[in-house]
Amino acid sequence: MWEALEQMGWVKTLGSTGWMYSTVAVTHYLTMFWFIGSIAVVDLRVMGIAARRRGIRELAEQLFPWAWIGFTLAVISGFLMFATDAGDWAPDKVFHVKLTLIAVSAVFAFIVQRGARRWAQDPAVPRAAKIIALISLLLWVATILSASEIPALEGLG
Amino acid sequence: MHDTLVAFAKWLEATPWGLMTRESIWAYPFVQLIHFTGLSIWLGTNFALDLRLLGVGSRRSTAAQLAQELFAWNWIGFAIVLTGGFMLFSGIATAFIANVAFQWKLGMFVPLALIWHVVVQRKAREWGQTSDTPGIARFAGLTEILLWICVITAAVQIPNH
Repeated sequence: MWEALEQMGWVKTLGSTGWMYSTVAVTHYLTMFWFIGSIAVVDLRVMGIAARRRGIRELAEQLFPWAWIGFTLAVISGFLMFATDAGDWAPDKVFHVKLTLIAVSAVFAFIVQRGARRWAQDPAVPRAAKIIALISLLLWVATILSASEIPALEGLG
Repeated sequence: MHDTLVAFAKWLEATPWGLMTRESIWAYPFVQLIHFTGLSIWLGTNFALDLRLLGVGSRRSTAAQLAQELFAWNWIGFAIVLTGGFMLFSGIATAFIANVAFQWKLGMFVPLALIWHVVVQRKAREWGQTSDTPGIARFAGLTEILLWICVITAAVQIPNH
């Protein structure tokens, strides 16, 4: 199945055309940094160590739309990169860990986004909110690590 | 000049952190993690301001407020980027300085983007007083985004050269 994806005409063209693959890779890195950074700033704000003079809600409304746009673009460009070498990536254990971490991190980001409205109305940010924000932040760091360990462990990249 | 650079690169490769980054299979991912975590904070905060200057997205904060509130973490992010980048560079410094894509990245695009960023961040306090930003601010915000795209494009090309 994954080999079949790899052998599709447009996938082969993408994988063998230097500028196309580079464009996809640049998009993947750029949007990944962009969305993780946007979420991280809100996490840090909820934790009370960034942008303290701006409300949590204002900051979340400023940054989360960018986070989800960036996330969507990173997923699309990531899938395209995966497709060009799908047969090798699909069975890769570290790659499974990476995908799982992305899913869990995205759920936590969503919880922080939803919570930002409520937490902003409380006189003090609840302790549970700070812990959720910290978990969200650490999950993204773990996600980046799982992504960068793949070449070291598998010789893929 | 070039000889000095090569000598410096060789010295870096022989430092303990240069050796560790190069020879330990485990050190490299962690050093890359430092670089990428910093880049996320740096680019996330940069783009938030640039896009606000461009006038797209939420307008509940002004560009001046964002510039001020994101300032600290923006530069904390940069310090993290620099730490990780310096360690990555130290691992194979002589190969990096001979790499054309790396030369474009660090010799041209990074200094340009960085200078532009400092100017934009300073000027945002005056451009960003009101909800609508002047034409020059939009131009400056868009240009900064494009400059960082140039940096990443050059970086992605490094393994191909």
